[in-house]
Amino acid sequence: VAKTSLTSPPWPEVKLPDPVEEAKYHAEVVQKVNKMIAEGQYGRLFAVVHFASKQWKITSEDLIMMDNVLEAECGDRIRMEKVLLVGADDFTLIGRPLLGKDLVRVEATVIEKTESWPKINMRFWKRHNYQRKKIIVNPQTVLRINTIEIFPCLS
Amino acid sequence: RYVRQLQRLQLLFSPTAADARGARQFVEEAALDFARQHPDVVLYISPRCGPAPLLLAEYLNGTVREELIASKTSEEIVQLATKLAGQSGLDIIRIRKPFHTDNPSVQGQWHPLTNKPSALTVQGPRLQPQ
Repeated sequence: VAKTSLTSPPWPEVKLPDPVEEAKYHAEVVQKVNKMIAEGQYGRLFAVVHFASKQWKITSEDLIMMDNVLEAECGDRIRMEKVLLVGADDFTLIGRPLLGKDLVRVEATVIEKTESWPKINMRFWKRHNYQRKKIIVNPQTVLRINTIEIFPCLS
Repeated sequence: RYVRQLQRLQLLFSPTAADARGARQFVEEAALDFARQHPDVVLYISPRCGPAPLLLAEYLNGTVREELIASKTSEEIVQLATKLAGQSGLDIIRIRKPFHTDNPSVQGQWHPLTNKPSALTVQGPRLQPQ
């Protein structure tokens, strides 16, 4: 059969490797990464955390602000679960969709519990003598991420 | 490693005015509890026969916030005081980003040439690999 422009798809054809070889390669990579974590060769760690219905990319010593009220008092240490991704300079650990709690530990402290700036909510219809003005002030919490730690227990 | 940003709380009220009733009740009942719950905040109570009662809050970066407490019940004053104690002295204006990092990129910031094969490995009729 003659080859036209539509016989093969336009993307380059990818051949998958052998499953046995792939399993060996995977085990080797996992061992290497475990050894690196155990020796502590990583520099800065970043993590993607699901918190307050939003996903944040955080490193240590950075500030995050929520538009809600947490039950913790100012100065409390909080441990964040629901970690989706952890990465360092050479490797990343991707969770499906979450990583285990015995793998990662993210700690944060509540610094501040303030209110937002006064937002104006006004409704106005012209020629109908209708206007309503409301000032909305939301409570906010400021967290500072203290540490992100990983423990070598991959499999 | 947490340092409260509130330095001083000054409660100025007059012992005879009618709108300072809540302030007087707060001083009688809740001031001691508040002081014990927040041991790192200094609470000054000074009666003066002047205008309306005020609650002055001074923060570690120098900002001073005044709140009127005229015609407020003592529970409201307690809530106000706890709210001021949790705040820091920054201005309450619109903040553009809800996050702040000193090190935004760990694995190197993305630019359009990452993850692309370099010109050294491309084979073509004109380009010769080195």
